[in-house]
Amino acid sequence: MRSPIPIADCHGHVGTHPDFPAYHAESAEMVAVMDHLNIERLAVTSTLACYNDCPRGNAEVADVLARYPDRFWGYVTVNPNPPGQALAELEKWAAFHTPPLIKFHPSLHKYPVHGKHYQPVWDYANQTGAVVLVHTWDSDPNCGPLLFPAIARQCPKARILLGHSGVTWRGYMQAVEAAHAAPNLYLDLSGSQRHRLILERIVEALGLERILFGSDLPFLEASMTLGQVLAARIPDAAREMILRNNFLRLISGA
Amino acid sequence: MSGSETPFSEVAAWNLFDVNARVGPSGVHGELALDTAGLLEEMDRFHIREAVVSHWTAEEYDAETGNRALARDLDARFTPAWAALPDEASVASLAAIQPAAVRLTPGTAQHNFSTAPWCAGPLFEYLQEHAVVTLIARPDIEWPALAALLENFPRLPVVLLDIGYRADRHLFPLLRRFPMLHFDSATYLAHRQLEAFVEQHGAGRVLFGSRLPLFTPGSALAVLASARISDADRLAIAGGNLHHLLARAVGRTA
Repeated sequence: MRSPIPIADCHGHVGTHPDFPAYHAESAEMVAVMDHLNIERLAVTSTLACYNDCPRGNAEVADVLARYPDRFWGYVTVNPNPPGQALAELEKWAAFHTPPLIKFHPSLHKYPVHGKHYQPVWDYANQTGAVVLVHTWDSDPNCGPLLFPAIARQCPKARILLGHSGVTWRGYMQAVEAAHAAPNLYLDLSGSQRHRLILERIVEALGLERILFGSDLPFLEASMTLGQVLAARIPDAAREMILRNNFLRLISGA
Repeated sequence: MSGSETPFSEVAAWNLFDVNARVGPSGVHGELALDTAGLLEEMDRFHIREAVVSHWTAEEYDAETGNRALARDLDARFTPAWAALPDEASVASLAAIQPAAVRLTPGTAQHNFSTAPWCAGPLFEYLQEHAVVTLIARPDIEWPALAALLENFPRLPVVLLDIGYRADRHLFPLLRRFPMLHFDSATYLAHRQLEAFVEQHGAGRVLFGSRLPLFTPGSALAVLASARISDADRLAIAGGNLHHLLARAVGRTA
């Protein structure tokens, strides 16, 4: 099975995980899977940074970008907990992409996305027109989708990707509700729960332009989200927007 | 690929047999629940020829009522997975219908019983003696209780459903120790996890599961279709292993 459309993938990682074994997670193995499924290019964040160490994690992303400049984009992952570190990381790795691609993981960093320590980064994102990918989860007090409309309205120039769209069916419904409330909120399809009908329902609710393909590669199996997109009862034009055009438009700054 | 067409024509020759499907109304899952006709339509769409099917009424409400509903909603393409309780009357009812498969929901919020011999000994003795394929979802049983069940009834053919993708460090030691333990593929969805499993452990312990009607079969099928495993292993997972397990059930009529 292979995508008929070259995919621009908004959500991937470099690195492994503490709670289950990683298989074939090296960047060369990721590229092999991308070739197999027709993922042309993948935006990656460091898993080390999401858990524990942003400076070293972002350096891992820099290394991957240097080795595969045409296959990956890089998010700068920031942690709001070490004082001053987030803006320093954004400045250090400003060459990753213009406009900046920024990743927050409020769940693993155990800090609410609307907390004051994130505020300087939200201001930076608004000033630069950054694309900010944030891990979200159904009703989570640190990153539930319904926390985002207020942030999005305060940062109208930032484009905010609701990573995993809240994951569960209810989380997706919260993500749709949030996206209805703010035009600069977008839904990322990556995640482990592949609900029947969910893609059809969010296309009906939001239209075609604010839904993006994310694989979560090499955390999750990229083919499962591709299978969901290819199997959904949506127009082929919607598939092309979701698999490719929407993310390319977003990161071009348009 | 618009309308009812899917990109999975290649699986039509796989003789797909789904070990993880449910039918009937759900008080929790709203529009996702399917009646018999709806479930058959989804199976047709993804070339799933047969399925082991349990009833939501048994899982969400009462075992006996659920079994009556399952008997009412059966189709020739369904292998019924009956609900069972540890009491004498339930075991006698099982013996009367000579089942090929059961689905147990021992969790405290469901049928609320211990799987230990002091509580459910006669039930598991019957199931083991007759090689009844015993489905239990991982969220419905903790790892220590599962290990104890397998220690006490090592010839019982257990299929662990909804295992998730983070379970390998629990799963592998149990698979090595208990040859009658199997699991379904519906949520075994980490990056290249399925093919790594087959490389290390062979294909004999994995059964294709869709998790219909909650999940789209498109995801689990895409993972199976894109896994770099032999065609023989793919066919075993797609249905061969389940056919073999069910054929062992002693005196099966239902």
